[in-house]
Formats: sequence, C-alpha cells, structure tokens
Amino acid sequence: MTAQRRIRLWTRVVEVADGGRVTLGTVCTALIEAAGVDGAWASVLLPANLRETVYASDAVAERLSDLALTLGEGPGVDASGGTPALAADLLDIDSQARWPVFAPAAVQVGARALFALPLQVGTIQVGVLDLYRAAPGSLDDDQLADALLLADTACAILLDAGGMDIGSASRPHLDAHHPEVHQATGMLIVQLRVTASVALVRLRAYAYAHDLPLRDVARSVVARRLRFSPDPDIGDGGLQ
Amino acid sequence: MAELQLADVLVEMADTLVDDFDVIDFLHVLTERSVQLLGVSAAGLLLTDGRDTLQLVAASSERTRLLELFQLQSDEGPCVDCFRTGRPVSVANLATATRWPRFTEAAAAVGFAAVHAVPMRLRTQVIGALNFFDTAPGSLDPDKLRSGQALADVATIGLLQERAIRRRDVLTEQLQAALNSRIVIEQAKGVLAERWHVDMDEAFGLLRRHSRSGNRRLSELARAIVDGTEQMPSPAVP
Repeated sequence: MTAQRRIRLWTRVVEVADGGRVTLGTVCTALIEAAGVDGAWASVLLPANLRETVYASDAVAERLSDLALTLGEGPGVDASGGTPALAADLLDIDSQARWPVFAPAAVQVGARALFALPLQVGTIQVGVLDLYRAAPGSLDDDQLADALLLADTACAILLDAGGMDIGSASRPHLDAHHPEVHQATGMLIVQLRVTASVALVRLRAYAYAHDLPLRDVARSVVARRLRFSPDPDIGDGGLQ
Repeated sequence: MAELQLADVLVEMADTLVDDFDVIDFLHVLTERSVQLLGVSAAGLLLTDGRDTLQLVAASSERTRLLELFQLQSDEGPCVDCFRTGRPVSVANLATATRWPRFTEAAAAVGFAAVHAVPMRLRTQVIGALNFFDTAPGSLDPDKLRSGQALADVATIGLLQERAIRRRDVLTEQLQAALNSRIVIEQAKGVLAERWHVDMDEAFGLLRRHSRSGNRRLSELARAIVDGTEQMPSPAVP
C-alpha cells in the first residue's frame, strides 16, 4: 500500500533536487507542496534540552522557530517529547489553553495552523519538523500520510548527517516498520557500547557500504550471523 | 481452571485503564486474554501508522516467526482487508483461501489453519484490527466473534487514553506515540537479547517480568534500558 506513495514522493524529491544532492531543504520543499502547507522548519535536539533550527523555508518559518525557542512552548516543543502536536487552528480553545503565550504570538507572526512531527526512531530523538499554514485547517489523510513519510525521510537525512547523492544506491528511507531494524539497533548498542543513535547510524552505514537492504543487515545481526566490532581497525561485519 | 468470561476480561482491562497505565503493556495483556477467551492460538493487534501501512503493536507471543506473520499483513492479508473495509474478515480454512497467496503460504508454514480479524473503529474511522490465528480450521461462532469485537473496542478505548477525542488530530497523535513506544520495546529487546544471549521472545519476557516486579511502566523501563540509565534485568534473577 505504501509503495506507491513512497515512489511518488521520492520521485518528487528527486525532481526538486534537480540533479543536485537530496538535502533536508529538498525534502522539506517536496513536503510543503505535498502537505499543502505554507512553510516548514526543522530543529534538531542537542544535549541538555537545547534545540537548534537547521532549516527554515521562509521568513515566517524562521520567526516561528525563534518564537518557540524564546518562549519554550508550542507544538514543536511538545513534539520533542515524542508525540506529534497537531493544531488545526491556533485560535481555538484547545490551542490557546495548551500554548497560552506561543499560540497568539504565532498568529501575529502569520500562522494559523501548526503541525509538529517528531523526527524519532524509538528512543532516538533526532529533532522536530514543524509545518505551518497561514489559514486554519487540518491536514487531510493524504496530506498527513505524505507529511509523515517525508518526515521519516528528513529524519533519516538528519540521522545520517547531511545530504546524500542522488546517484547513490541507497535511498534515505527509515524502514521503521521492520522490527528487526530496531532489535538490531539494540544489539549494536551492546556490541559497540554506543548510543542507540550511533548504533542505528552504524547499521545504516553498513547497509550502504555493502549495498544491502537495511532489513537484511538487521536480520543477520538478529540471527547472530553478523557482529559489529567496537574496534575501528577490525571494522564492521567480522564474523565470529 | 474456570472458563474465562468476557465480563472478567472487561473488568480486568477497565481496572488497568484507571491507573497510570502503559498502553503497550495494556494491549499486550489484551491480546493474551483474547487468546484465552476465544480459544485461539495467537492474537495480534495492528494499528495504522498514518502512512497507509499497518504496524504490529502487540501480540500474545513474541515468537519471531509469529511477529513476521502478523507484520506480513502490512502488504496483504485478512487484517488489511478488515482495516480497509471496516468489517470483520474470517477465513475458516486457509488451505482453500486464494486471495492472499503470500500470506496464506506464510501462515501455513507457521502451522495456522484459520485466521480472523475484527476492526478497531472510532466512529467512522478505522484505526487498526485485532487479528486471531488458529491451528485448527473452523469459523469463530457468533458469540466469540462478538467477544472479539468487544476486545477490539476496549483496545481502541485504551489507545485513546486519558484524553477525550474531540478531534481526529488527537487520535493521530496518540497512534503515533503508541507506534513509537513499540519501537522502543524492540530496541530494548535487542539490548537484552545481546546482553544476556537470549532470543527476542525471552528478551521480551525479561522486560515484562522486570516491569511487573518493579511496578514500572513497560515503555519507561524499555527506554531506560536503551538509554543505559537502567540496570538491565538479568535472566538469573527471577
């Protein structure tokens, strides 16, 4: 079911990239169009609860991002806890009660609807993607599905740090619907003595380097056919 | 053992809902009870991920091959049909079913002969399905089907948690949070499986026993294990 949506969205991302690298900006441009929103910004979560805006599509998005950082409230702040925060109208009672300072300020800046999607994989909190609309209104099912899938792509890009080449065999898919990927991430935390985030990046890097689907690599780890070594001299994938 | 009654299960689940409960643990218990209540071999609960795909969130057993079978239905199978139509789907004999070749073959390989699915509905919206497998062919009698539907409704209520669902958006928020909690559980299973050299099923058992004995929420404990802030429960300590 998802395949068609994925292919359509990825095709659009590649078109937007126009022969260049697929970056967070490319993905956000495609997302703004697909979700029918007016703009977007992305922030990453740093240690000690700090946040940093790494992308803003326009001046309004930039100002909204500043507001959230300054006021310490808003959908994006809530979403960094791991649950999306969807506000179809910042002037309705729910939004005003939830973000008493941020909601009116955001309306002043030019946003009436805000949708904050956590960029996360289980315990790995990469950041938050915020979408805004100048007019009130929910994302319909299709827009939401497109937004969630492209947010997964944005998450993969941020996780792997930086843009990727179009020509590369791997596509920045998160493959979050395969439990083996998460089980393997957990196993790598112990094998490599690293955080979950580093474990997942190493797993993904191995898949790219060997031109294998992430799921197959994860399965080999779970089946204990593949072990990762914390010693960089030995490299990954030493069979033991 | 006295036969488990629907009323007993509903009371147990309602009691859980009053407390500061963990949604994944709640749904896991619900799948276990539905196996007992309906006399089937296995049960699994799949939710829409909002990206057109169904994701397994809880199952009566964490056996890997079983989980794969449930998850296979992200592409095709009775659960997908049930989710799409919002109506129960029942296949009394998989050996003669032709609609889902990949699914039927995989189900047969695990030893299942019959499969049933009931929808999880909130008003007009379908959010997932409760899926039952049986090793013996046969249909679910109407009483059992009604019980199955009642359990699916309880699962829906559990997912909505403490907040009144006035808006579809709130439902989306809760679903996404539940799906991410399941990923945290998978990551924790991996940590425990590697640390104690056990399989994923046993790793889940460890996690659950430790959560019960320490009166900790399953997802919180799982998160702490993945983050390394929690001493990992050892299989040696019951």
